[in-house]
Amino acid sequence: MSIRVVRRLILVGLMVLIAAALAAASPAFLGLDNLMTLLQDASQTGIIAIGFTLVLITAGIDMSVGAVVAVTAMVCANFLEHTGLPAAAFVPLALVGGCLAGAFNGWCITRFRLPEFIVTLASRGLLAGLALIIAVKDADGFVKNVFITNEGFLKLGGTVGPVYLSVIVFFLLAAGTQFFLRRTKAGTNVYATGANPAAARLSGINTARTLIGVYMFSGFCAALSAVFLCARMMTAMPDFGIGSEMDVIAAVVIGGTTFTGGEGDIWGTVIGTLFLAMVKNGILKLGLSPYTQPIVIGGIIVVVVVVDVWYKSFAGAVAARARRRQAQRGQA
Amino acid sequence: MSDILLDCRGIDKSYGGPMVLTDVDFQVRRGEVHALVGENGAGKSTLVKIITGVTGRNAGTMVFDGKTIPEAHSKKAAQELGIAVIYQELSLIHGMTVAQNILLTREPLYRGTRIIDVRRMNRMAQEMIDRYGFKLRAADVIDHLSIGQRQTVEILKALSGNASLMIMDEPTSSLTSEESAQLFEIIRTLKQRGISVLYISHRMEEVYQLSDRVTVLRDGRRVAVLDREQISPAEIIRLMIGRTLTERESVNRMVRRDGEPVLEVEGLCSGDRLRDISFTVRRGEVLGLGGLVGSGRTEVVRAVYGIDRFDRGRVKFLGQPFVPSVAGAIARGFGFVPEERRLQGIMGDISITGNVAVPNLDAITSRAGFVSGSKELEHSRRAVAMLNIKPADPERAVGTLSGGNQQKVVVGKWLIRDLKLLIVDEPTVGIDVGAKEEIYTIIRALSDQGVAVIVVSSDLPELTRISDRILVLRQGRIVKEFAEGEVTEEDVLLASSGITTGIRAEVAP
Repeated sequence: MSIRVVRRLILVGLMVLIAAALAAASPAFLGLDNLMTLLQDASQTGIIAIGFTLVLITAGIDMSVGAVVAVTAMVCANFLEHTGLPAAAFVPLALVGGCLAGAFNGWCITRFRLPEFIVTLASRGLLAGLALIIAVKDADGFVKNVFITNEGFLKLGGTVGPVYLSVIVFFLLAAGTQFFLRRTKAGTNVYATGANPAAARLSGINTARTLIGVYMFSGFCAALSAVFLCARMMTAMPDFGIGSEMDVIAAVVIGGTTFTGGEGDIWGTVIGTLFLAMVKNGILKLGLSPYTQPIVIGGIIVVVVVVDVWYKSFAGAVAARARRRQAQRGQA
Repeated sequence: MSDILLDCRGIDKSYGGPMVLTDVDFQVRRGEVHALVGENGAGKSTLVKIITGVTGRNAGTMVFDGKTIPEAHSKKAAQELGIAVIYQELSLIHGMTVAQNILLTREPLYRGTRIIDVRRMNRMAQEMIDRYGFKLRAADVIDHLSIGQRQTVEILKALSGNASLMIMDEPTSSLTSEESAQLFEIIRTLKQRGISVLYISHRMEEVYQLSDRVTVLRDGRRVAVLDREQISPAEIIRLMIGRTLTERESVNRMVRRDGEPVLEVEGLCSGDRLRDISFTVRRGEVLGLGGLVGSGRTEVVRAVYGIDRFDRGRVKFLGQPFVPSVAGAIARGFGFVPEERRLQGIMGDISITGNVAVPNLDAITSRAGFVSGSKELEHSRRAVAMLNIKPADPERAVGTLSGGNQQKVVVGKWLIRDLKLLIVDEPTVGIDVGAKEEIYTIIRALSDQGVAVIVVSSDLPELTRISDRILVLRQGRIVKEFAEGEVTEEDVLLASSGITTGIRAEVAP
């Protein structure tokens, strides 16, 4: 069994254990309402995390996803406040906005060979500021709380049966992206670019184009998440999404995508997202202070990374021993 | 169809300074294994870089498979022509399967889509693997394959791109002997299928076993092309070194030094990289460690200095047991000048003063824990003056100095303290002749002051010249000691290559 499968089984097993413990401690945990809320919460982070996974596979990072959420929220708020356009008309525009932000990141990174962290940290600042500037203001110049009444738009925050639309979109997007990564040429290029850029270029892969595409997709996912967030909250604030990078990174890293690139996939991220959402939900259900959430998440990241490093060297040693034994048998 | 696959004529090359290649003619025939040999710096890698389009040429013509290669050659053009390089640092993509690596960018797709037909991809790769008789599974992820198996994947990758000339630069340097034997089998298979192999190696027995023809380079000129029946290891070595005894002082007398032992190593073992290494270095002695790349030379000094762990063995320093650790080594008066100057030796953006200060912080820090700027500067002034570092400006960033002066800074770091043992690994790679001489003078001066010095070097004239005694390593073992009498470069090279019947047998006692 490969490292990846074992790792995943361990995570799922842990998740079942935690769920059982939570269900025992608080019967409300397993209620349909709570589970649907949990999934909805997970899908919000998860949609961003899907795009972020691709970035991390290329050994990059996108610090601007939270700010893309904020700007997208404000773009929607403006359309809702100042135009009577139907959601179907402006939501695609908002998503294109997310792609453009990602294209800017990718272009700076590849054209000027700048470090991904610096570029996306800078655009995080730019976009967060932009969100405040374009925010809908009242007569005194204060940011106004926009109450969303556009019915078409609010449907995006609604449910199909008991399941929130965003949850369905999350799983569909995850399945599609997984297929893209593992089964298409472009997906292969993403892995190759992250694992060994020099070899990828020598093999004829256009790594710059691959990177720009990946950052655009990350921007797109963040914008998509923003649309669902506004529709669900029935309002839009310029601080939406700011700081959510932490949760996104945690979900992706728990899912097994490494910072060194070339490794990881979307199923891991889905599991990581659900794991994280459950822990957060559990903290609330157990009546602990929500302020402990970041501490718990930070702790989980440390444990996961340490165990990963340890497990990898262990698996490498096992493989080397197996190889030696095979060689000895070959000689005998 | 001509018999000649690659025809280079009159190749000249200089990187702005002296000529690296002068009027080199070089031909590779179809389906032959052609070895390219020469000492370090003879121009082998430059010639390969020109063929593969990594660097340009100043003059000369190149024809490959009947097509003239223009002046503006490129890596991509070389690849498209069918010239493939099997890189030493393997260029595979980890996390991917054997099939994905072999067929990267050439994946079979479902008709009319960009979706990869994984089953067909695995089948294509497996068919190819089987056709060449390799033992690999197409669907295995490469991460846990051995280095030899990965090399096979790399060869298959080149073959799937329709390579007709495969260039292998020291392909066996990181392989075990069984893996090497497998590689030779692969090379013979390639040859049977009409693929030419350009083989670069320092290991004479390999060249002897494998090659149909050998081209010998010396000082950037082609000195000989030998046919199969003319090839003998001793002859090749004679041609490589050539002007021995006449143009160069290449006979060197080993000198016995009887100072007290500074470092005693006993039974050092580390996996299959070091096997039972024992030796002693004495006060005032310069001990040379020779051998081919990958023979374990560097591993010995790294283990002794406490950088790499080892499995077994004891080390004594000045008679006291010493468990190697870098901090302990520095505290006892070791100095270490590493092999890769830019990566391990200097901090390029930092001043000479800063570089010299780092291993000496204990000497320049006040009791309260603050670094004394004036002491720091005084130290670096002393190093600059002692070693004649130019420009003599302690505030200059080391990265802006010439290679020779950078190396002096690396040495200078250790001269501030009470140095007992200096370890230098490839001390003069990439530095000019004048600076080389200065480095030799420094090493000699230190040994005269009673410092024990260990020199690791691939540069045979250098090794034979500055050492008082030479140990030659091969496959992790000490295979030869030159302690007394005269030693030539040939002797060392023969011992490194594992050839026992030398042509200088008559000189041996």
